Amino acid sequence: MCYVTRTSALEYEDIEVGKARLIERGEQIGDISLKARKTIAMLGQDFIRDGSTILTHGFSRVVLSILKLAAANKKHFSVVCTEGRPDSTGLQMAKEMVAIGVPITLIIDSAVAYTMESVDMLLVGADGVVESGGIINMIGTYQAAMVARSMNKPVYVAAESYKFARMYPLDQKAMFPSSRQVDFHYPLPSAVQVEFSSRDYTPPQYLTLLFTDLGVFTPSAVSDELIQLYL
Amino acid sequence: MDSRRGSRFVIDPKIRQVGFVPAGCESENPNASSAVAAIANVDVNPTSDSPSPVMIPPRLADPLPRAAPLPVPSPPPRKHTSVEIPLQGSYNPTDSVLGTSPPFSPASNGRYAGVPSSEGPDLSPSFVSRASSAMEGMSLREDHLGSPSASRFATVGEYAMFKQQQPQQPATAVTKVYASSLPQEPVQSFAPVGKEDSSKPLKERTTKAERRAKQEADREAKRIAKESAGAKVVEGEARASSNVVGKASRAQSQKKDSASEKRLSAVEKASEKEKKKEIPAPRMQFDDQSRVAKAKKRALIEQTETKHRVELFRHLPQFVYGAQLPSLEAKFFHDDAMHPHPAVYQVGLQYLTGDITGGNARCIAMLSAFKELIKDYCTPRERTLIRDLTARVNNNVSFLTTCRPLCISMGNAIRFLKTRIAKLQLTLSESDAKSLIIAEIDRFMQEKINYADNEITKLAVTKIKDGDVILTYGSSCVVETIILHAFSLGKKFRVVIVDSRPKLEGKGLLRRLLGRGISCTYSHINAVTYIIQEVNKVFLGASSILSNGTVYSRVGSASVAMVANAFHVPVMICCETYKFHERVQLDSICFNELDALVKIPGRKGLSELEGWSQSSHLKLLNLMYDVMPADYVSMIITELGMVPPTSVPVILREYRKDPIL
Repeated sequence: MCYVTRTSALEYEDIEVGKARLIERGEQIGDISLKARKTIAMLGQDFIRDGSTILTHGFSRVVLSILKLAAANKKHFSVVCTEGRPDSTGLQMAKEMVAIGVPITLIIDSAVAYTMESVDMLLVGADGVVESGGIINMIGTYQAAMVARSMNKPVYVAAESYKFARMYPLDQKAMFPSSRQVDFHYPLPSAVQVEFSSRDYTPPQYLTLLFTDLGVFTPSAVSDELIQLYL
Repeated sequence: MDSRRGSRFVIDPKIRQVGFVPAGCESENPNASSAVAAIANVDVNPTSDSPSPVMIPPRLADPLPRAAPLPVPSPPPRKHTSVEIPLQGSYNPTDSVLGTSPPFSPASNGRYAGVPSSEGPDLSPSFVSRASSAMEGMSLREDHLGSPSASRFATVGEYAMFKQQQPQQPATAVTKVYASSLPQEPVQSFAPVGKEDSSKPLKERTTKAERRAKQEADREAKRIAKESAGAKVVEGEARASSNVVGKASRAQSQKKDSASEKRLSAVEKASEKEKKKEIPAPRMQFDDQSRVAKAKKRALIEQTETKHRVELFRHLPQFVYGAQLPSLEAKFFHDDAMHPHPAVYQVGLQYLTGDITGGNARCIAMLSAFKELIKDYCTPRERTLIRDLTARVNNNVSFLTTCRPLCISMGNAIRFLKTRIAKLQLTLSESDAKSLIIAEIDRFMQEKINYADNEITKLAVTKIKDGDVILTYGSSCVVETIILHAFSLGKKFRVVIVDSRPKLEGKGLLRRLLGRGISCTYSHINAVTYIIQEVNKVFLGASSILSNGTVYSRVGSASVAMVANAFHVPVMICCETYKFHERVQLDSICFNELDALVKIPGRKGLSELEGWSQSSHLKLLNLMYDVMPADYVSMIITELGMVPPTSVPVILREYRKDPIL
C-alpha cells in the first residue's frame, strides 16, 4: 500500500501526467515483486539443508521460488504438500515440484499432525503480514503452525515487504471476511451451516522467522519495520 | 547472594539482627577469615522488636573492607567489648558492635568496591552473629536489602581496631571481628581464634590484610574526624541545606536522571529520636552509593519514618502521613529561592491529599502550575534567565516530590520542560522567552496528552464490537474515554469493573459510567478469576511502559492481566507515548511507591487493624504500583498506532530524535 499512497503522483494537477505516473508505479510494483521474490529465495534457501523434508501448505509463488533456487543449488530435499482445500492449490504445487525434480508427497489437510513428526520445518507464504508479527494466509495455516510449534518444528514464512499491513487482529473474526465456496460433493440439507472463510490468522507466537526482501525477521521486527515505513 | 550488590546497612530502630553463614561455609573460605569472618555482635536488646534477620554470608573473595560506616549524627556511645570471636560464625552476645542507634542509610551500595566512608554516612548496622539456616534462606531473598556482608563491615571494624593495635601484623587478627568505629577504645585482644584456619593461606592474607590495613588507616583518620564533628554535622547540614539545595538541584538536573526522582532524603536526628531511620533519597538506583550520599546532603525535610517497615521494601521511603506538612513549611518557606509558587504549592497539596491522582491528571496539573510560575517569573538581577528559571523549576519540582513522588510521566514532562528552557536562545527578551516556554508547554499538553488520548480512543473503539464484554481495572482516564466514546458510537457492549482496596478507585468510574447509561458489573479483585470467564477483552491503563515492554501500572493490574492471559482473553494497554521510558524493570520491588499507611481505612465492624502501629509484630505494606511482564500484554494502543509490546523501544528510538520527547 505504501507504494501507492506514498507516490507524489497524486499531487500532479495534470490528470494525464498523474495517470501515467500511476501506471508506471503499477509496473514498478510488478518489478519490485519479482525482485523481492529473488531476494527472498536467496535468503530462504540457506535454511534448507541436504536431507531435509519441508512441509508446505497450499501454493505460494514465493515458497516455490525458494524451493526452485534450493533445487538449482543442488540441494537434496523432499517436500510434503497439503492438498489445500477448498482451493486445492496443493495439486499445483505438486506439479511444480515434479517439474523441478524434487520428491513430493501430497497429503490431505487432516494429515498435517500425522506427518509433522517426519518433517523438519513448515514453510508457508503469506497473503498479509500484520503488525503483531502474525500472518494472514490460506485457511489451514494456523493449525499447521500450531502443530509445528507444539512439536518444536520451525515455522518459516516467506513474504514480500509490501505485504506488511498495519492491521492488528485480536482473533480470527477480526479480519475482513473472505469466503470461498466449498464443494462437498454431497447434497447437503439446507439447514446445515457451512463455514466459508478461506483465510485465517496465525498469531506471532507460532512463527519462528519471516523471510522478506528486507531481510530475515523475527515476528517482533515486523512492527519495527512498519513503524519505520509508516511513521 | 550477589557479592557485587551493595550491602544495605539498614538499621531497625531497635535492634537489627543480621545473621550470617554458619561455620560450615566459613571454613571454606580461609581467605575470608583473615579479613573478618565473624560478625560483630551487638547487645541483644531484650526489648527489641522482632528481629528481621538479614543474611550476610561471608564473602568468598574477600573484598576490601571499607571504613566502618558512621552515622552522620553522633551516635550514642558505643560499647566496645573486644572479644575474640571464633571464626566460625558463632554467636557471641557479649560483643557489642555498633552503637544501637543507628541512623543508617540503607547504604545501597555496600558493594565491595564501594562503601567508602568518605562518601557519606553509611550506617553501621548492628548485627548479631547468628548461625541459622533460616537466615541463610532469607538472605537469598533479601540480598538487596541486607548487608551482604556483615563480615565486611566487621572486617572494617576489625581492621580499624587492628590497625591501631598492631599495624605490623595484620594477618593475625583473622578471626576477630567487631565493628567498632571508635578508635579510642582499645581492642584488647586479637588472639586469632581460628588459628588453624589462619595458618594456611597466610601469605595471601598478609597481602590482602596489608592492603586493607592501609585503607583502614586512611579511613580511620576520616572517621575520627567525623566522629568528633558528628554533633555539629546535623546543624551544619541544616544550615547548609538551603544553600546546597540550589546547587545540588542544578547538579542534579544535569545528571540526566530521566525519571527525575528528585527525592529529598530525610535527615535523622538520631540523638533525639532513636526510632527514626535515616534513609537515602529514593533514587532510581537505590544501590548507588554516591547518589544516596548526595541526596543526603541535599536533605531538606525531616520526615518521620514509620516504625515497622517491611523488609523487602526497606529501600523505599515510607513516611508517617501528615507529618510532612509542618516540615515542609519550616524548610520551604523561609527561603525565598526555595519558596514554591502558590500554584505549585496548591498542586502539591492536592497530590498530598490524593485529590489529584492518575498520571495524566497529575502531569497536566503540574504543567499548568508551571505555566503560572513562568508567567509570574522575573529574572533577578545578575542572573541569566535560563539558569535561574531552571533552578526555580528544580526547586518547585523538589517541593512536589516531597508531597508525593513523581510518576514517570511527570518525570518525562519535566525533562522536556528543562530541555526547552535550556535551548532558549540567549538573545531572547524575557517576555519573549517566557511566552515561548508557555507556548511549548501548551503544545506538549495538547499533543502528547489531549491529542494522544483522542487518537488512542479512535483506535481502541475499532476493537470494540457489538456483544463484547469489556473488563477494566481501577479507573484509568483513557479507558474511560474509550468506553464512553464507543458507547456514543452506538456499540452494544457491557463493562466489568474490577476494583480493589484500599483505594477503591473503580467506584468513581462505576458511578460515571452508570450515569451515562452503560451497563456495568462491579467486582472485587478477589473475584477476577470468576468474572474473567464472561469477558472478551481487557482494557487497562498504565502509568508507564518500560523499554522491555513491561507495563508499570496501578497495583493489581498485573494480577488482572495474568488472569486474563491464562484465560486467553486479550489484554490491551492504552498508554500515550510520553509515558514510555527507557528504563527496564524486572520486578515490582526494586522501584515502587509506598503509599501512606494511614490511608488504609478499615471496614466498618472489623477492627483488627486498629492500633496496628503499636504492634511490633505487624507491618503493613501499601504498594501503589506493580509491574506486568510483556508476555501478558496482547497489544499496546498508543497515538502512533497499535503496537506489540516489543515495539516500545522502537518507538523510543525513533522518536528520541523528536525534541518533544
